[in-house]
Amino acid sequence: MEKEELNKIVNKYDTKSGKLLGILEDIQRNEGYLPKDALIYVSKHLNVPLSKLYSLATFYSFFNLKPVGKHIITVCTGTACHVRGAPLLIKEMERLLNVQPGETTSDGKFMLTTKDRSFSLNAARCFGCCSMAPVIRVDGKIYGYSTPRKLPEILKRYGWIEEK
Amino acid sequence: MAEKLINIKINGKVYKAEEGETVLSVCNRVGIDIPALCYNEALAPYGACRLCMVEVVNGPGKKGMTTSCTLRAVEGLEIVTDTEKIKHHRNILFELYLAQAPGSEEIRKMAAKYGVTKTRFAEKVKPLDPLGNKCVLCGQCVRVCDEIMGTAAINYIGRGSNTRINTPYLEESNVCMGCGACAEVCPTGAIQIEDVEDKRVMKSWSNTKVQLKKCKSCGRYFAPDPMLDFTYGKLDPEIKEELKDLCPDCRRKLLSKKEILINQGEAYKNEK
Amino acid sequence: MKIKTLEDLNKIKEKGLNKLLSSDKPHIAVGLASCGIATGGDRVFKALEDTIKAKKLDVELTKTGCFGICHEEPLVNVRIPGKPLVILHKVTENDAEKIIDDVANGKVPEEKALCKIEEWDHLTLDETVNYGKGYSNIPLWNEIPYFKPQKKVVLRDAGIINPEDIEEYIAVGGYSALYKALTEMTPDEIIEEVKKSGLRGRGGAGFPTGLKWSFIKKEKSDIKYVICNGDEGDPGAYMNRNEMESDPHMIIEGMLIGAYAVGATEGYIYVRAEYPLAIERFRKAIDQAREYGFLGENILGTDFSFDIGLVSNAGAFVCGEETALIASIEGKPGRPRPRPPFPAQKGLWGKPTNINNVETWCNIPVIIKKGGDWFSQIGIEKNTGTKVFSLVGKVKKAGLVEVPLGTPVRTIVYDIGGGAAKNRKVKAVQTGGPSGGTIPTSLFDTPVDYEHLKELGAIMGSGGIVVMDEKTCMVDTAKYFLNFTVDESCGKCVPCREGLKRMYDILDRITKGKGEEEDMETLEELATTIKEASLCGLGQTAPNPVLTTLKYFRDEYEAHIKEKRCPAHVCVDLIKFEVNKDKCIKCGLCYSACPVGAIDWKKGKTSIINKDKCIKCKACIEVCPVGAIE
Repeated sequence: MEKEELNKIVNKYDTKSGKLLGILEDIQRNEGYLPKDALIYVSKHLNVPLSKLYSLATFYSFFNLKPVGKHIITVCTGTACHVRGAPLLIKEMERLLNVQPGETTSDGKFMLTTKDRSFSLNAARCFGCCSMAPVIRVDGKIYGYSTPRKLPEILKRYGWIEEK
Repeated sequence: MAEKLINIKINGKVYKAEEGETVLSVCNRVGIDIPALCYNEALAPYGACRLCMVEVVNGPGKKGMTTSCTLRAVEGLEIVTDTEKIKHHRNILFELYLAQAPGSEEIRKMAAKYGVTKTRFAEKVKPLDPLGNKCVLCGQCVRVCDEIMGTAAINYIGRGSNTRINTPYLEESNVCMGCGACAEVCPTGAIQIEDVEDKRVMKSWSNTKVQLKKCKSCGRYFAPDPMLDFTYGKLDPEIKEELKDLCPDCRRKLLSKKEILINQGEAYKNEK
Repeated sequence: MKIKTLEDLNKIKEKGLNKLLSSDKPHIAVGLASCGIATGGDRVFKALEDTIKAKKLDVELTKTGCFGICHEEPLVNVRIPGKPLVILHKVTENDAEKIIDDVANGKVPEEKALCKIEEWDHLTLDETVNYGKGYSNIPLWNEIPYFKPQKKVVLRDAGIINPEDIEEYIAVGGYSALYKALTEMTPDEIIEEVKKSGLRGRGGAGFPTGLKWSFIKKEKSDIKYVICNGDEGDPGAYMNRNEMESDPHMIIEGMLIGAYAVGATEGYIYVRAEYPLAIERFRKAIDQAREYGFLGENILGTDFSFDIGLVSNAGAFVCGEETALIASIEGKPGRPRPRPPFPAQKGLWGKPTNINNVETWCNIPVIIKKGGDWFSQIGIEKNTGTKVFSLVGKVKKAGLVEVPLGTPVRTIVYDIGGGAAKNRKVKAVQTGGPSGGTIPTSLFDTPVDYEHLKELGAIMGSGGIVVMDEKTCMVDTAKYFLNFTVDESCGKCVPCREGLKRMYDILDRITKGKGEEEDMETLEELATTIKEASLCGLGQTAPNPVLTTLKYFRDEYEAHIKEKRCPAHVCVDLIKFEVNKDKCIKCGLCYSACPVGAIDWKKGKTSIINKDKCIKCKACIEVCPVGAIE
């Protein structure tokens, strides 16, 4: 990651409250994940042990330590979405995207990425759109009242091609 | 500064305690047996292992079960230990411990002491676990490395039941001093350190290798370099230059020689 | 301009009222909270904007928050000067043309109208806002069944004002409670008023707010903090999200009054990262509040100074717990700390800190303006005021519901919610999210308040009410909640970290047909120890869903364990995926529903499922009108 970018982010926060989380969130927003060299830079610059930053990065679900796909699909697994069929959506997504289910990486994160890095699939707890359950989100856009049958149509908007 | 002495009641008997002293500390002092894994006098109370639970029957705060390592002694506090309820919950906790750390003899012994010899729950066995399936995540190693040594070479990774302790990215640490304080405080002997030739290998911590210092006199590798630098930096007055590269045995030999010579009235050059 | 006097405030109030009640041009506001946007409200806004521009009309188009009737979204408010405010429902971009045409002719599209508002009491405004009378064909908002039992106190501005315009907030009485507090009341008087109101923490614990404030007021410290807990992690609960997105200034005003009462000079609003719109609206609101002088030095010309910072969580439910939240703001993982010391004595950076939920802060301005006595008349004894609930799940009419505390479950689920969707039967509701419990229909006369729900083994929690029908498996539900708490446990203490995982493993086995006789007893034993021995509220309440389902739906557990059968046809491993020839009506719906063509069917013939191809997605079970697939 560019030193200039990092510098801007690190210097943006002038109060200690919320500073570390804010910096990591900004880096994540820029790069889609937390690159190792970025964490090392922050560690040196703020005089925070690397182990503490790595601890933060692995504790909070939001942070990815590996690069992610071009499009990120998040299936909501909140209670309202669960009773209205979220597990079936995940299963169907895994099948359509041909990603291996049940993968947990060494840092314990659930983020399945297709081989060509075009899509990443993960689950979130709740977007607060429970009245339109079940809900999935692609790159920040929310699709409510989802069903397994509607998924191919949504994916196609992001360049997915159906394998016959 | 003398702390005010007050009276608290434990199991019906009155004991003296310093106001603000933890109840666990009082019990340890007066010989009342309370098990604990995450408690260390040198560290701030952590409240993670939940074994030291006692029941508050009277006092200014909330009544009921609470950890004695975080309960502070105040005038009028009345607690009981070892009630049927406490024993029942403690036994279930020990079943969980046995399942969590099947490789630990210490846990087996501790559980057996309180009457728990087997567990209903599936044992967590990780092949090639750097902590030998002995870690109970009491966090003492992390806290000692951070709060006491100020290094924070190791820390928690992940969250929940996936939590483990190790170096960032599971790579060799470049800040570890090799002091071994972590192994010293570990209640289950999970942390493995081995001195191999001129390096101290922190086997549990991603095989981090720390350079050992060679004694100028006898030639043996006796202590990690960074640890010596760290310690020397804290000494006031500063340690004499001639002693810095000597192992403890050779240091003793040199200082004894000096004493003998001084006693024999002979001046010794290189005073400073 | 910085508002320093009452005259300044009133001047802006008039300006804002002119925007809301302009007499010279029609006003259209599109509901653009997250659910409004997700159903296409942003496209509706764009379509209306383009149409207005194309026709060169003089129509005011703004955004507003969510009125709460979420299943009818997108919602659009239309106001012709002198006439009632009309709320249109299920609006699409294709309706834009007709709407604008009607408005240009001084009419509203009555065929799209849900309800109307002739006058509105914003509570913090001394006078009611009078829109006008008319439209005899359109019902009043509180005549429709969904709203009849409701009482809007917290949501009094939501869906009516523009959340991104501080002047509209001031127009409806905003910041007048702050003015009263700073110029007419002492900190002790404010705390007294809050105590009198009987307000209890709306985050779930229900601790008396006035009492909580008196603890931190006592502490002597140069620095004190007040924090707004906007982490709302309970899945299925989104009350706070709406409160933050539709009326952010209400929370800022509440925090200002609270800070003045307890002696704090700095505040933080902690919002979960999954609510980006709430974060954005808060940022705008804080900037505007600073611009108008409500945050910063010498607020309203007094010597009270206060400012607010915004901190975002990063995906950890446990950070809704007070000490974990504090650790998070300090840049640490959210691992709770043992209490005592309580945050009121040693909180953020070791200083006295008062944390309250979003909705608790929301109630403060109205309590100060109308008085604690007024507030205590709403609800029932010891449970005063209203509570906003998110009514979701297998219910016909999902949305946000604000009712006085003490309203029976039955009223909420049937009168407001319309009962189960798809003509099924309601089986239970889950309240309080992963810390709460299930309540079977037989107990639906229970009033919804802190004490009654606790007696049942459930808790009110932050307000999520998830409706479940006969096709919901209660064992699967218990497993679902444990999956959540296992994942979100911080991992510090053994009973929660190890205990919950073992409970989950047992439930998993049961749903896969590998349950054993002793399992129910083991679950109960583990549950009791985890509840007693855990360090924080997460562990202490996580076993509740299991305990309540064991209590009220033991028969389902027994079916799973003894008969290896899932009565609700949810647990995939217990479904044979076979068509019952006797029940099959040969309609072929399953054949069309199957995404992998695993069903053989021809017109007039019974369908047969090819088990080699079947991926167990249950699409066939969902569509079968007679439940013939087992």
